[in-house]
Amino acid sequence: MANGANDAAPRGWSILFGIIMIAYGFLIRSGTLDALLRYLHTHKDADLQVTLCFILGGIGIAVGIISLLRTPGDGIFDNFVLKPAPGVLFLLLLAMVIRWYFEPIVHIWSKAAAPTLGFQFHKIFNLNYVVLGIIVGIVLTNTIGIPRFAAQGVKTARFVLKMGVITLGARYSIAELANLGQVSIWMIGFFVVGTVLLVLWLGRLFQTPHSMTGVLSSGMGVCGVSATVACAPVVKAKSHEMAYTIGTILLWGVGCMFLFPTVGKIIGMNPTQFGAWAGTGILNSAQVAAAALAFNAVDIKTLKVAEIFNITRVLFLPIIVLILAYWYNKVSEDGVGRKLSMKEVFIDKFPLFVLGFILMFVLSSSGVFGPPEHYKGKYLDFSYNQRTELTPEELDVVGKFIANPENLKGMTDTEQATLMDLHKQRQIAGNYSDRNNEKVFRTEAKERMVTLQGILAAKKIKDKEVKSAIKHGIKQVHKKSKTVVVLTDLMIWFFAYGLIGLGMQITRQAIMQAGGMPLIIGAISGTMKAVLSLIVVLLLIKDLV
Amino acid sequence: MEEEKAQPTSARGEASMEERALSVFASERSEDITAMVLTFVSAFLVLLFTKWWV
Repeated sequence: MANGANDAAPRGWSILFGIIMIAYGFLIRSGTLDALLRYLHTHKDADLQVTLCFILGGIGIAVGIISLLRTPGDGIFDNFVLKPAPGVLFLLLLAMVIRWYFEPIVHIWSKAAAPTLGFQFHKIFNLNYVVLGIIVGIVLTNTIGIPRFAAQGVKTARFVLKMGVITLGARYSIAELANLGQVSIWMIGFFVVGTVLLVLWLGRLFQTPHSMTGVLSSGMGVCGVSATVACAPVVKAKSHEMAYTIGTILLWGVGCMFLFPTVGKIIGMNPTQFGAWAGTGILNSAQVAAAALAFNAVDIKTLKVAEIFNITRVLFLPIIVLILAYWYNKVSEDGVGRKLSMKEVFIDKFPLFVLGFILMFVLSSSGVFGPPEHYKGKYLDFSYNQRTELTPEELDVVGKFIANPENLKGMTDTEQATLMDLHKQRQIAGNYSDRNNEKVFRTEAKERMVTLQGILAAKKIKDKEVKSAIKHGIKQVHKKSKTVVVLTDLMIWFFAYGLIGLGMQITRQAIMQAGGMPLIIGAISGTMKAVLSLIVVLLLIKDLV
Repeated sequence: MEEEKAQPTSARGEASMEERALSVFASERSEDITAMVLTFVSAFLVLLFTKWWV
C-alpha cells in the first residue's frame, strides 16, 4: 500500500451501493422496466444486468458488513478490498449508468437528429462509453468533487485500465495482415510509424512533456481513441493528457471528415484512391466510414478500401506500443538525472503489462480465441454447411428472380454470374472445384460477397424479397467468435470503469496547464500526414489494392 | 549547478510520488503483474465457458 493507509474508511457506503444494485436487479427481473429497456434497446442485456447487479450488490453488502464489524487496518485485505470497496462500487454504478442508460440515450438522440443534421453525431464525435466515461468523470470532479468515500476506489482506475489494454490484444490478429495487399501494408506502416516519429520530434521541438508527446503520437499515428487509451499507461500519461489527446484527434477527425470528400471530388480521385486516402489520413474508424460514404455512397469499393486501410493501421498498434515503451524509457532519466542503459530500458523499466498485451495478441493470432484470421472477433466462413446457406424459401425467390432476364438488365456480367452462383451453390462460396485450395476458394467467395454488396448498395434490385434473401446470404457468412465477443464485453467494462476514474482525476487547472500545445502539434502532424498520404495515394494507387 | 540539477530531480521525485498517489499499488511492477494475472485468469475462464466447455 503506497499511501492512504490512514484514510478513514467510510463504512456504510458499500452496503448502500450493494442494496441499490440488488434493488435494481429485482426491478429488471420483475419486468417493471421492460418498456424502458426496449426503448433503449438494452432489453437483450436484461439477464446480464440482473446477474451483474446481484453478484456485485451481494459482494458490496458482504464487504460493507465486514467493514462494520472490524476497523480497517493496514493489511492487504484492508488496503485492497475494504478501503477501496465504496469507491469501486461507486465507479461500477456509474459505469452501469453510462453503459445501460447514458450511451443508449445519446445514440437515440443522435439517430433522431440525423435527418436534420445529415449525420449521426454520436458516430462523428465518437460518443461511446470511452468518451462519455471521461466526460462524466471530469464533470463530477469539477462540480461536486470526488466524494470522500470514493477517493480510495478511484485509485484503482489506472490498474483496471491496464487490464482493459491487455484484453484489447485479444481483438486483433496478425493473420488479418496476410489478407491485405502489399501496397496497403507498406503504405500504412510508413504513415503510422512516420506520424508517430513526427509527433515525437514535434514534441521535442515544442518542449512538451514526454508523456503528453507519447500519448499524442499514438493517437495521431494509429487509430485514435483506442490507441490513445492503450498507449497512455505505457508513457505514463496523466489523465488530462489522455483526455486532451482524445479531444484533439476527434476534433481533427471531424474537420477531415468534411474536408476530405470535397478535396477528393475536386481532384477527381477514383473510389479506390479516395478510400485509401481516407483510411490513411482520418483517424477515427466511424469518421473514416462517414467520409467514404460522403464521397461515394453508391460504389461499395470506396468504403471497403477505406476499411481495409483502417484495419491495417490498427494492426500496427502492438508495434507502436513497443516503440513507445522503448522511447519513453530511453528519454526518461533515473532519479539522479542519469540516462537509462539498454538493459534498464528493455528489462528493468519495461512496463510489464505491455507484455500481457503482446501475449494476448499472439494468442489471438494463433487462433486460441477464434479463427486466426478474425478481426475484432468477426470472420468470414465460406465453408459448405447449413449455417451458411440461404433458406429454401429464399432460394426459391432468388431462383425465380434470375429466371427472368428482364430482372437482370442493368447488371454487369459478373453481377449476373454472382447471382446465378448464389442460387446454384445455395450460399456465398468459391468455385466448388477449388474447394481444396483454401486461398483461391476464399478469394473467389470474397469477391462474390463484395459484388453482392455492390448490387445492394447500387440499388440494382427493387424486389424486397430478393434483397432480403441476398442480405441474409451475406449475413450467413459473417460469423463472430463467442470468446472474443465476451472478452470484448469484459474489455468495455474495464475501459468504462477505468476511464470514469481517470476522468475524475482531471481538474480544470490541469486542462488549463496543458495549454494549446497538443492541439498545435496535432494539427501540424495531421496536416502533414493528410497531404503526404494524398500525394502517395495519387502516385501509387491506381485501382487495385 | 548542483542546485539546478537538484531541482529537476526533486521534481521527478514528486512526479513519481504523485503517480503512486493515484494508485492503490506500492509499485508499478506489482500493479502490472496483478493486472496481467487477473486478466489472464479472466481470459481463461472466458475460454472455459465459451469454447472448451460448451
